[in-house]
Amino acid sequence: MKSKQFLFLCMFLIPFVVSSQNNLTVKGVVTESATGYPAVGVSVFVKGTTNGTVTSVDGDYLLSNVPPTATLVFSFVGMITREVPVNGRTEINVFMEEDTQKLEEVVVVGYGTAKVKDLTSSITTIKPDEIMKTPAGQAMQALQGKVPGMQVISSGGPGKAPTVRIRGIGSYPKKDALNAEWLNNESPLYVVDGIFYNSIDFLNPSDITSISVLKDASSAAIYGVRAANGVVLIETKSGGYEKKTEVTFDGYFGYQYAQNVLKMANAEQFATMAMESGSSTDIKNISNAMQRYGRSRINPNVPDVNTDWFKEILRPASIENYSLDISGGSSKAAYSVGINYFDQQGILDMKNEYARYNFRSKLDFKATDWLTVGGNMIWSQATQYPEEKVAWNEAYYAIPILPVYDEANTQATPKPYASATDIGYRGGQNPFPAIDTYNRRNFIKNLLTNFYADIRIIPEKLTFKTSYNQAYTSREEREVKLPYYVTNSFQFANPEITKWTKTYSDVTWDNVLTFMNRFDKHNLTVMLGASYRDEYYSMLQAKAYRFPTEIEQSWYLDLAETIKADEVKDDGLRQYGLSYFGRVSYNFDNKYLLYGTLRADGSSKYQEKWGYFPTVGIGWVLSQENFMEDITAIDYLKLRASWGQLGNDKIPASDGALTTTILTAAINDVLVSGTTVSGVFSSLGWELTEEINLGFSSDFLQNRLKLEADYYIRDTKNAAISVSIPAVGGTVVKNVGIIRNSGFEFALNWNDAVGSDFRYTIGLNFSTLKNEVRDLYGQPYVDGGTAEFRQRSIVGQPLLAFYGYEIVGVYQNEAEIQADPIARANGLVPGDFKYKNQNGDDVINDDDRVVLGSYFPTLMLGGNLGVGFKNIDLSVNFMGQSGNKILNRKRGNYIWTNDTNLDADLAINRWHGEGTSDKYPSSAGLRKGWNQKMSDYFVEDGSFFRIQNVQIGYNLLNKHWWGVDIPAIRISLTADRPLTVFKYNGFNPEIPDGIDTQTYPVPATYTLGLNIKF
Amino acid sequence: MKRIYNTALAFLLLATSCNSVLDEPAENKAFSEGADYTKSADMILPAIGVYAKLYELGWETYPLIAVRGDDVNAGGLGDQQDYAETDNYRYNKDYWMYNSLWEGFYTIIYNTYTAEDQIIKYQSAGADSQLAQRYIADAYVVRGFLLLQLSRVWGDIFIPEDYDPSHLLTTPVATKDEVMTYISELMDKAIPALQDIHPKDRVDIPGGATKHTALAVKALANLELKNYQVVAEATSQIIQSDRYALEPDFYELFKLKGKLNKENLFELQYSDFGKGAGDYKSYLYAFFGPQSWTPKVEGIGGGWGFFEPSLKYIKFMLDRGETIRLETSVLFTDRGIAEIQKDARYAGLPSWVSNTTRSGDVINDFNRALFSSGKHYMPSDQYIPGRTSWGENKNFQCIRYAEILLMHAEALTQGAKGSALSADEAVNLVRTRSGLTRLTNVTNQQVMDEKYAELAMEWGTRFYDMVRLEKYDELSYDGRTFSPGLIYLPYPQSQVDQLPGLREKK
Repeated sequence: MKSKQFLFLCMFLIPFVVSSQNNLTVKGVVTESATGYPAVGVSVFVKGTTNGTVTSVDGDYLLSNVPPTATLVFSFVGMITREVPVNGRTEINVFMEEDTQKLEEVVVVGYGTAKVKDLTSSITTIKPDEIMKTPAGQAMQALQGKVPGMQVISSGGPGKAPTVRIRGIGSYPKKDALNAEWLNNESPLYVVDGIFYNSIDFLNPSDITSISVLKDASSAAIYGVRAANGVVLIETKSGGYEKKTEVTFDGYFGYQYAQNVLKMANAEQFATMAMESGSSTDIKNISNAMQRYGRSRINPNVPDVNTDWFKEILRPASIENYSLDISGGSSKAAYSVGINYFDQQGILDMKNEYARYNFRSKLDFKATDWLTVGGNMIWSQATQYPEEKVAWNEAYYAIPILPVYDEANTQATPKPYASATDIGYRGGQNPFPAIDTYNRRNFIKNLLTNFYADIRIIPEKLTFKTSYNQAYTSREEREVKLPYYVTNSFQFANPEITKWTKTYSDVTWDNVLTFMNRFDKHNLTVMLGASYRDEYYSMLQAKAYRFPTEIEQSWYLDLAETIKADEVKDDGLRQYGLSYFGRVSYNFDNKYLLYGTLRADGSSKYQEKWGYFPTVGIGWVLSQENFMEDITAIDYLKLRASWGQLGNDKIPASDGALTTTILTAAINDVLVSGTTVSGVFSSLGWELTEEINLGFSSDFLQNRLKLEADYYIRDTKNAAISVSIPAVGGTVVKNVGIIRNSGFEFALNWNDAVGSDFRYTIGLNFSTLKNEVRDLYGQPYVDGGTAEFRQRSIVGQPLLAFYGYEIVGVYQNEAEIQADPIARANGLVPGDFKYKNQNGDDVINDDDRVVLGSYFPTLMLGGNLGVGFKNIDLSVNFMGQSGNKILNRKRGNYIWTNDTNLDADLAINRWHGEGTSDKYPSSAGLRKGWNQKMSDYFVEDGSFFRIQNVQIGYNLLNKHWWGVDIPAIRISLTADRPLTVFKYNGFNPEIPDGIDTQTYPVPATYTLGLNIKF
Repeated sequence: MKRIYNTALAFLLLATSCNSVLDEPAENKAFSEGADYTKSADMILPAIGVYAKLYELGWETYPLIAVRGDDVNAGGLGDQQDYAETDNYRYNKDYWMYNSLWEGFYTIIYNTYTAEDQIIKYQSAGADSQLAQRYIADAYVVRGFLLLQLSRVWGDIFIPEDYDPSHLLTTPVATKDEVMTYISELMDKAIPALQDIHPKDRVDIPGGATKHTALAVKALANLELKNYQVVAEATSQIIQSDRYALEPDFYELFKLKGKLNKENLFELQYSDFGKGAGDYKSYLYAFFGPQSWTPKVEGIGGGWGFFEPSLKYIKFMLDRGETIRLETSVLFTDRGIAEIQKDARYAGLPSWVSNTTRSGDVINDFNRALFSSGKHYMPSDQYIPGRTSWGENKNFQCIRYAEILLMHAEALTQGAKGSALSADEAVNLVRTRSGLTRLTNVTNQQVMDEKYAELAMEWGTRFYDMVRLEKYDELSYDGRTFSPGLIYLPYPQSQVDQLPGLREKK
């Protein structure tokens, strides 16, 4: 109130003062340099006077009676105050930088907030404009390469969330046995407005106002048993008290194009491989193809077909997103409402898309001077048509000498598809019959609601907050496989329909008491809380055959001839959680910081009900010490150290006992049920993670340079990983030992302006990761993976490292064979692999196997470059990783089926005579068991570098067109992931578990965006 | 203000009262220990489970067991090279199929242990003990049959002590003789508990084991041990039971008519349940089928072209003047017939040797093999309309009465004394059914030839016979060279890595 009166007074006085000098009237626009948005409410004063004004909603100001030699002072909370000499100008446009020292910046830390300067742990925050730059339906995708120590592994499919890992993993990534989707069991805990989520794929990224990534144990420990994989805190947008209504429209439209599409062998290369295979069948098949499809005019020994299957199944696909937000508030109430529509088509040429509508409203209301109540509601409704996953594999393996259509197949329905069985191959190979007849539809509805009451018991000192949250998800899924017929051996006769109804409900009730006090130089905050959780899940599934297929409206189980008895499934889950937690944050004279939390977590999930998770942290702000006063280059320097323990509940609930499964059998032509009991069961204890984090935060050179670094050692004790079961195969999850992740994280930001028009920022971050098995309870190793592609966890080596033979080269000639007793003993011929004889004895056997690498990247880096000139800005983000290996399991499939296509690199660089290759065996050699041993032929370098995002923006501010005030407009062009560079022979180096069987290609996205604010 | 304090306190405390919810058990889990074992009627469930698990036998387990004899070759040219290499006695312990056979069989074997454990629990809770012993005997027969196959393939193998596979980490392997002795003793326990009826007459589990199934497994195990007297006694008991007879039509025995046939002592059961769509249980016979055929009834798919009857076998049969057994055992293609005729001695083949089967299905030429197994073929006119997979709705025979008769004759010609048929009578029963003349004073060689003719393509019987009789010359055919060192496959690498017992053997 005071300032308003004061301003009013100032304005009143202006006319009286003006006349005394030959002063100027200065106008201009103030812009937030980080966002390019108008800076509203910035104070503009003539230095040393009370003559001033504030900027309007468009960021413009008009100030009269300014002496030509005066200096204008622009100031706003949280921004660096700028002083600009007038020098006789009448128009002065100013960019406001955020105060990077952020002395009073507040971050969300879980059940409360903390001042950044009080932190002793490792937390990275992401601002909304960083998220908005990435055209994606999933907010986490925008964080790729931005948070040191956090690995975001993209998923290209529409509506699919990326895999997120913080500081390596203690558990092994798993796929759902039923639908081969990633379970994301190593992903962090997401907390959206206080509600726990395993995935936030339903959120509209532009509804997010802040993301805090709690990386170390000390910061995450407040979430106890759920926090071992790190915690990502998300706050959605709120209104503001005394805030003028702000209407924001944000939208983009663009196209996605498949990138780095793997080159497969073409018809000529494929035919050459077949002719060299030594297999009469495969040679005969080539001539069959020439008989059926004719001979190529260019090379008469090649069939006149050259199908690039990836090209056939891929398409450019649109992506669009439109949001409208309205927020504001009065002295008593603050509100924010918004709607959003997002639509993404898949780049696979079939019914493959994702569309989502979101509605959101949030209200905070000061009911009395001691009570604030509020509520929040987000409704998200999505329709997803996932791809037919076999398409990627089938396109990879499909032979290039087969056309898509073969008019000779007059019997084929629904289209005259070509079939490889017609030319002698075992399977039909054409992916189109399956793609064209597949239809999967998921209706996904998400509701997030919460209510809170905030009671000020002692003003400014003691508050109590209770909040009741309900998250609800319903998924109605339908999978339809329509019939097709190509040949007798390549048909799908009986249409299938499967339906699932899944309901998830998660209730959280939090009660938190917060006490804050300051006396002398002591600052103390104490929080105590209790939380109750009730998680519920239910699933009903049924499958039927033969139903009217012509129109979609008849795709119902009721209309089907047969319901498959053993595919009717009913499943459910109910888990309760009860937690007590507390936090003490103490700061003496802003120099010495002490932090501690303790959480007691009770869960009905495990046999052991209670776990206790403590943490402590200390910090020392050196820059506040007297002896640092003279070092002007250093503005801020804080050393911090923390220790904490976390639990991991992402490991599956253990059976703890033998479990019974129903099995059916045809006994005398009658379907009869029996039971089978597994002799192997998991008996899992808590997975406990203990972490030490050391780091510093600093600002240099008038806050232009910001540097943050952390080193951590994270030990997962009782780590639960999948272990092979002897004799019977398969794996069982067991607590096998201690796994250590350690690494160094480093983030640097440089932020400066040259003159008043040009500003730039440079950011660079990198992190290292060392994953190591420390102990396996006395065993030297534990086997995992599959029998053919062994992964072994060895003490001192990374978890589940690829394990096999090292290739020295390829035998080039008969002389080399004769000279090598190993080659002679194994009947090898030129063109076969030469394995490294690790132990120097006279045989190659299992003792010669070694660790071939791990799927963990040892180095991840990210960076950004931002340049702004007047109304134009440009930003570039990049990222990369190295040190990880990928098992090229697609090539590995040759072990089982070898009448398929191969990638072009293999076809071109195969050994086919002395000196032709030292890398790949001959075509005949590829079929031999000797060359199919698990070796580094299958294990490839997974390093990549990517231009993550390039955005050019143009800001129209303060314009008046046709006599009308035009709102602040930003137009932007974005290229998302336009370029990825890697050596790996697949089309996507981002593989969560390092085993590449089939992945959705990550597309490059180009969009045009529009943002209007008024 | 005090009111507010109280409210706050109440809220904090409220949560604690929910403490008991943490003890709620998990949903949708049938914990075996929580099962109601007093429901005696449920005791049959684990027994049915034993068979259900057995019938789930993977397609990739049978080929390695059966392919090495001189009756059949790998086929599938150009595909599964190491399977073909194994057929040529060049073994690769890294080859995936070795491990699949090992794991596939041990999975079913372990299920017999957990089933036994379950049945005992029902029995202790008051279920009929005679019935319990019968169901345990079911588990024993399945276990015995599978251990027999594994030991034939690998020689020395593990005999699990209980249902927990991790206990194998400290278990030494048993020698082949120990395994066979164990099987024989296990069958001795099973025999008194099982009924003296034909499997199809079992009311509780039609097609399950009976006394004679256990006797047959015992005979097979003792045959491996060359305990011919024990073999003769077991086969005599089966013959004397008079529960079994040869199916007069050898061709139809391997078709729909073979289901729970009077001739079968043990079989894997499959069914379409009489419906053209929906539930079905089937062995994956596609492995055996020709890649291309023109079925009389259209729309049924072919197979993968593996498992090719050998030229040696076909010529052996032609030399013997065999008709129905050859016609039943082999699906000819024109290309295959031409290949036989390349040998001048067989230039003029009987007119019934044709690529059209007795059922009117035409087998077309395909690249991967010259012939397919006719014992794993279901004529298109026996399909239920709507079903399209090769071999669907066909049972998989494991032990036939013909084998019992021939084992009996084999034991007698090895000097054992039987109490049932003479060797001549036993062999002639089998020969007569196939339209061959009767023999007198049969020799062991004649019995073995008869086994070759009768049991080709079935469970590698021919290979294990030749190995046992050390007739390695027979196995050295078509460019192959067999030697005693090649009798057993090497242990799968994956198992060697996991099991110290195998490493010690190595």
